[in-house]
Amino acid sequence: MAVKNKLLCVLLLYTSGLAARQANPRSDTGFVHIPAGVYWLGGREHQLNPLRKVEIAGFDLAATELTNRLFEKFVLATKYTTDAERFKNAMVFEPGLAEFRWLSDSTAYWRFPNGKSRGGIEAKMDHPVTCISYKDAEAYCKWAKVRLPTFDEWEIASRAGAKTTYFWGEDMEQIGQYANIWHGGDHLKADLSDGYVYTSPVGSFKPNGFGLYDVYGNVFEFCTGVLKTDPKNRKIAHARGGSWWCSNHACGFFNSLDIGRVNPQASFSNQGFRVVKIPVQH
Amino acid sequence: MLKIMIIKATRYRQLFFLALAICSSNLLFAQVDNQEWKQASTSSEAYSKSRRKNTVPPYGLVKVKAMIAGTKSSGGDNDVYFTVMSPKNYQSLSLREKFTYHMIHAEVESQNCDVSAPILDEDLKVFGTLPDAFDEKSWSERQLNFLISNRDSVLALISESVNRSKRVGLNYKIAIEHVNGWEIIPLLIRTYKIDRKDHDILTVLIQLMKKNDYQPFMTSASYVKLYGANSTDRSFIDFNQANEDLILSRAEAFYNGRKK
Repeated sequence: MAVKNKLLCVLLLYTSGLAARQANPRSDTGFVHIPAGVYWLGGREHQLNPLRKVEIAGFDLAATELTNRLFEKFVLATKYTTDAERFKNAMVFEPGLAEFRWLSDSTAYWRFPNGKSRGGIEAKMDHPVTCISYKDAEAYCKWAKVRLPTFDEWEIASRAGAKTTYFWGEDMEQIGQYANIWHGGDHLKADLSDGYVYTSPVGSFKPNGFGLYDVYGNVFEFCTGVLKTDPKNRKIAHARGGSWWCSNHACGFFNSLDIGRVNPQASFSNQGFRVVKIPVQH
Repeated sequence: MLKIMIIKATRYRQLFFLALAICSSNLLFAQVDNQEWKQASTSSEAYSKSRRKNTVPPYGLVKVKAMIAGTKSSGGDNDVYFTVMSPKNYQSLSLREKFTYHMIHAEVESQNCDVSAPILDEDLKVFGTLPDAFDEKSWSERQLNFLISNRDSVLALISESVNRSKRVGLNYKIAIEHVNGWEIIPLLIRTYKIDRKDHDILTVLIQLMKKNDYQPFMTSASYVKLYGANSTDRSFIDFNQANEDLILSRAEAFYNGRKK
């Protein structure tokens, strides 16, 4: 009995701690206006994202990453088939793999982002859609009459006025308040320390100063843009902000500086997007 | 009267601190405004490119290239995105040809963050982790399993190729790490000493000591810096004479102890 009570206490402390740390989940249809202005971007030593000032017109960016619920609407309306369904080569993860190792799984697509054996999204409609490619994200945008953010727009939004690596400063230790990342020292064991092994419902963590949720972690967010290192003979897709898989020891892209790159038709279960509203022309 | 004076003094003090705060913030912004981007030196950029070069093995190269070119690829917009040799064609390759296939062609996709970017002073650092050898691609399970299953042959082919070309491509380095190829440490050291420019050979030596839990390395300050609690996959130690000597002597001692 005493053991049971102790276990209950531990469970209560754990869940109350999580509740205190995480903000209330948000609607997946809200947009945040990012004001026009001059912003600092990049880093002093970053060779792909140099320190610079950029002037930009205001724009409206989704407050959250695009959810399974919204992507399902698109698929039901258009009968769209994702790249993962066509090529049957989505990359999935399960705890126990060495650093940077993923598995190709022919059963994986957005409804089963880590393959059918690891469960579907029925109870995760408020999670970000994953296992979609850059091409799939573009198709969604065309249908929904929205677009992906540019590198600069994404960075301005993520920084919320800050010039530092993270929107709160340089202290990486604060990441747990704002982002669903991998806190383990490696990927050999599941990391449940923040409540989630894979994705979390959008808006589960505290927002940045602009009111944007999950700009770091949860899923990598596709952006448009070209880097100086991009090859001339093939297309490259880019995404930013890191993901639930990213740890400080492997990846560490959960910040406002780094820019990832990936095959535009590859599908990973930590890859998603958020959208920018296209102003209505009168 | 005294009360009024105190209130006035308090107001002046508030105004003083407000002015001080405004000046400080202006100074801070001015400092940020004065910050300049540091571009990597020419030697750093050249080293960044050179360390990402693979070695192309000669074994059945023409045949393997032709088979890759003939493999039906999938993808849109006339781009070749996914090219995986069929099981039948793959099985038809000899061991040496399979080795060449793996060294020039990776079958699955890499993560967004798996492709390391050029960094400042890259030529002056010894990293704990190697960059990825195939841009946005990685070896598949069958490719990784091949390397392990044919470990001795793979190490022999790599040794043969390195002895001939006097360099160790990034693909070879990753394969050596993957198969825990401690037996070729003397060859790696000999090759490194030709011009002492390929610091990633030192990284391979470090990785082999780590993989084999070699205590003099595992309990060293270098280990803590490269793989300790505060390390990242971009962690490095400075490239200098002392660190170079230490890595080489430790690797030699590890090899001599292991071969007994």
